[in-house]
Formats: sequence, C-alpha cells, structure tokens
Amino acid sequence: MKHLPARRALLAVSAASVLALAACGGGGDGSGSPGESAAPAASKLIVIITPSPDNVFFKAEQDAAAARAESLGYETLVLSHDDDPTKQSQQFDTAISRKAAAIILDNAGADASVTAIQRAKDADIPTFLIDREINKTGVAVAQIVSNNAQGAGLGGQEFAKLMGNKGEYAELLGKPTDTNAGVRSKGYHGVLDQFPDLKMVAQQSANWDQAEALQKTQTILQAHPNIKGIIAGNDTMALGAYAAVQAAKKDIVVVGFDGSPDVVSSIQKKAIRATVLQPASKIAQMAVDQADVYIKAGGKTDQPEKQSIDCVLVTADNADTVKNFAVEGS
Amino acid sequence: MTNTDVAAPASTAAAPRPEEPRSTALKRAALLLVRGRTLVVLVILVIIFSSISSEYLTQSNLILMTKHVAINAILAIGVTFVILTGGIDLSVGSIAGLASMVAGGLLFNGLNFPGGTVFFSVAMVLLIGIVAGALVGAVNGLLITRLKVAPFIATLGMLYVARGAAQLHSDGGTYPDLAGTEARGNTGFGFIGADSVLGIPVAVWIMVVVAAAAIVVTTKTPFGKRIYAVGGNERAAVLSGIRVNRVKIAVYVISGACAALAGLLLTSELGAAYPDTATTYELNAIAAAVLGGTALAGGRGTIIGTVMGAFVIGFLSDGLVLVGVSTFWQSVVKGAVIIVAVITEQAQQRLQSDLTRRTA
Repeated sequence: MKHLPARRALLAVSAASVLALAACGGGGDGSGSPGESAAPAASKLIVIITPSPDNVFFKAEQDAAAARAESLGYETLVLSHDDDPTKQSQQFDTAISRKAAAIILDNAGADASVTAIQRAKDADIPTFLIDREINKTGVAVAQIVSNNAQGAGLGGQEFAKLMGNKGEYAELLGKPTDTNAGVRSKGYHGVLDQFPDLKMVAQQSANWDQAEALQKTQTILQAHPNIKGIIAGNDTMALGAYAAVQAAKKDIVVVGFDGSPDVVSSIQKKAIRATVLQPASKIAQMAVDQADVYIKAGGKTDQPEKQSIDCVLVTADNADTVKNFAVEGS
Repeated sequence: MTNTDVAAPASTAAAPRPEEPRSTALKRAALLLVRGRTLVVLVILVIIFSSISSEYLTQSNLILMTKHVAINAILAIGVTFVILTGGIDLSVGSIAGLASMVAGGLLFNGLNFPGGTVFFSVAMVLLIGIVAGALVGAVNGLLITRLKVAPFIATLGMLYVARGAAQLHSDGGTYPDLAGTEARGNTGFGFIGADSVLGIPVAVWIMVVVAAAAIVVTTKTPFGKRIYAVGGNERAAVLSGIRVNRVKIAVYVISGACAALAGLLLTSELGAAYPDTATTYELNAIAAAVLGGTALAGGRGTIIGTVMGAFVIGFLSDGLVLVGVSTFWQSVVKGAVIIVAVITEQAQQRLQSDLTRRTA
C-alpha cells in the first residue's frame, strides 16, 4: 500500500505528458476543452489524418499536405490512425469538436470509414480523401487517388520486358485486407498472364513488411531456384526481397510499387530494377487546394468527386529526376 | 497447484524423482511421449513437408530454416527466463525494434555532439544496442518489483512505449543503408546477420551460444535454482531467503538483452533498420516457450524445450511457404498447433501428478 502515492505520481506525470503532447499536436490551441469553446465563425484549421508515417509514403503525404495548408494560411493538425478505424473515428470527433474547416483523409478502411466521414459532413465539415477510396459516393467532397490499376499495368509491362517475356517468377502480395493489394496484383496479372512463357511459381503475402518479405523470399528461392524475377506489391517488400536476392548472390529482376526514396536510390545503383511512383505529394497538395477553393466558395466545388491521378514508371532512365514521391517536370 | 511440493520448490520442475517402485509402465511411456512432444511434432513436420517438396530436406533449406528459427529462438529464450518466474514479457518485439533503430541510427548518422559527429565501430554499436535492450528490461523489472505493476500490464505498456521510442528515433523513417564506410571505421554490420562461418550462418552460431549459456544458467547455477523457486512458489522463495525482486529484475534484463540481440540480427540481415522491425514477434516468442512446455504459471519449463518450440514454429511456417500454402491457412495451422501443444501440456500435468501420487 505504501506504493500508492508513487503510483499516483506516475499516473499524474503520464497524464500530464499526454496532455502536453496533445497540446503540441494542436498547434498551440489555448483552450483546454475545445468541445465547449465557441470557435470563430470562419475556422482556419485543416485536420490531416493518414496511416502511420512509419511508411515514408504517408510521411510524404502528411508533409506535403501540411506544408501546402500552412502556405495557404491555415492551421494544421496532423494525426495518424495507424490503420485502426476506431482510432480514426475518435480523431474525426476531435476534428468536429475543434470545428475544423476541412479534413484531409487517407482512410483506415473502405467501408469502416464511411460513418465517420458522414458524421463530419453532418457537422458541415467537408472531407477530402486521398490515396485510398471509400465504398460510397456523395459523402466525401473528393476522392483523389492514384490510379493503382494503371500503375500496376505499367509495372507489369516493365517487369515482363526486364524478364525478356519468359521465365519463372514469384509475386509478393500486400496485406490481404487492403484493397490496393488486390488491385495491384490484378493489374500485374492483367499484363503478365498474357505471356505464356512467364510462369508464376510462387505467390505469398508478406503483409507490406520488409523483414517478412526477406524471409519469405529466401524460402521461395529455396523452393524454386530457377526464379528469374520477383514482383512486389510495394516498395518495402521489394527492398526485403532484394536483400534476399543479394544474400543468395543471384541475378534476379526485382520490381516494386510506390516510388519510395530508398527504392529510387536502389534503382540508381541498378539493384532493384523498377518501381511505380504514386504521386503522393501531388495528390495531397491537390486535396488541400481543392479544400481551400471549397471553403472560400462557401461549400462549392467544380471538381468531380472521383479523381484518378496516373502513376509514373521509374527506371534507371528517370530515377535521377525523382524526389520525395514526385517526378520533376511532371 | 504446486503447493504439495512446497518443501522443495527448486526441484519440482526438473528431473523426475529417482525412486519409482511400481508405477504403471504404460503411463510412464505416455508421459515420456508427451514430454518429448515437441520433438515428435518436429519429426512429423519434417516427414510431411519432405514428402510434399523434395526441397524441404535439403541441406541448404535446413540451414536457411534454422537461420530463420534463430531470431525467434533468441527472443523466446529471453522470454522463457521471465515466464519461469511466473511473469510475462510482451515488450520483446518492441525492444527488438528499438535496439534495431538505435544501432541503425548510430551506423547511419553517428552520434551527434555539439562539437561534431562520432561514429562507433560495429562491435561497439552492437554492445550499445544490447545494453539499450537490457536497460528497457531493467525498467520493466523495476516497474514490476518496485511499483508492483502486474507484469502483463507493465510490459504491455512498454510494448507501446518502446515502439513509440523506435518511431521517434528516426521520426518514423527507415535507416536504409547500414553497410558503413571505411572512413568511418564502421563496416561489417552484415557479419552477424548475413555471413556464415564453417558453412553455418553466424546467427545460428549465436543462437547456439545463447542457448548453451541459458541452459547452464538455468540448470547449473544457484541463480537458475532461484528462478525456478520464484516461479514455483514465490511465498516459499521469500521465506527461504531468496531476494525475489533481484531475481525478477534480472530476468527482465536478460529478456531485454536477448530481444535486442534478436533485433540486431534481423536488422543486420536486412541491411536496413525500420521502426516496425519485429512487430508482434513477442507472440511468436511466447508461443515457442509454451510449445516447448514452459508453464505460463511459472516454475516449470526448460530452455531446450523453448528452442525446440521455436524450431517447430519456424519449420512449420517455412514449410507452409515452401509448399505454397496461402497466408490465411498459415495462420490457422500455426494457431492450431499452439493450442494442441497446450492441451498436451495439460495432459502431461495430469499424468505427472498421477505418477507422483502413486510413488509418493
């Protein structure tokens, strides 16, 4: 029992630090209980919610959106839902109670996100989706996504070309519950299945994870020593696969998807051969620009809800012009 | 459950009693089979997979699978120390990730002082990484012994804290290239994860050394006896003069250090450090310990059992990938094997207490 004060102190300290953190993230909003404070009529807050910035892709999204919003004179609140729809829903509550002017969202689930976005809409807060779509229209103001099917087509074509249109290959799939994993795989196969001499001998999910891709690729290479190529559903898995290829001292074509800086520099060294760049920064900026127009026009937009932005193939030829999920001059 | 053995808490877990006049031979045989179940399962796995794929039982695949086992085995050995005292360590995956980021940062960016940047040798980086893991373990131990936080809660909290710290370390980013440069004198990080000595991967040698050391510590030293005593009956351990808190802190330090070592091996092989390294690996480690016959209540289990458990999990997962089973079925099969293992664990308990009653 004599430890109780110590425990209480610890609790107080942790509670205080959580509050301090929240205050930092809030951009210095002085009010302790934002829910009750009467916000000014024209809010200048844009809330940006994305998956974990662990993945450089989402980090680029956050940074690009926040930078553009701040340059347009908005306050920003950047949050990460870690692919947890419940957490995302709570963050929407925060945005609503803070009376945000707009929400920029890379969502945590095509179905699971709809009610939260609807709740924001009912509170007159427009949501602009980036990167991932939801399975309902008319709820969000815009859904700006990169064209994964088109991008996977590009990746598939380049992969087939690098393979000389023949030989055994393996495919590393993304997290099975993520729509993009399926769309990309379908896009790859839309091209690859047309070549009768290209034979897929193994197909495994590595859950978007680098270490898992490494171990699974090692095992796959063990089972199929004649593999000439590995096509991965994203760049972190491509990096893991390439580490396994390097360890096995084999000459195998590895192709990824995303256009992350690590893979781009690997392509410059002629290690990984190609990736498909999703214009993440551009999409995030577009969403902020459209939100700005929407806010200033008093709730009107001249853009269609569904907007699809083409991906760009990155190979050794153009890798030098790629920086932070954007190709210069495009 | 163990209160009948209060008189000799330290010896309950290990060898069966030598005096065994006329217990039923059948039950003894059954017990032996159940005791050796991990080995039995392993043999069955090898037979099944090698009959499906001719690649399974090749020398190179066995070496590869053992290398994959090494990381989980080292994590699981550390966790076993904790479980033997009746505790649990849920933070090992996150500690592995944190150690990975600490080492990655030191290799990639060096240590920044106001006066300039210092780069450490690889040996030093490894040492710092392991010490970092041990320190996190020490915090776990202090939380549990001094502040009386339940082990499950303390290490669950640390799971988040250490993972967050790993993410903060690089602001969420990846340290992409850990090869080092001659000028900085920090080349050679790939040695422990990617190289081989005498045809066996260095990671496997490290696992062998860690396992051997752990076996000696748990079975041949007074400290090992105290670990079993604390887990078998903490009250009795206190009364017999064991400094229970010291033992507990020590096992969390060991667990943290093992976790860090595993994280460093993984990072070395990958040649890159990212904050999500080893996410959910704590569950694989606990599963290996339980599969190997370690009782979650504490006081019973062996290091060799845990290593065998890690082999079963590793040989099973790699086998399923090798023969091309889908990810979903891989999860189902792995889970089923763990549940069956626990069921046989309880059968072992019953048989054992049956026999003990008869011989007593």
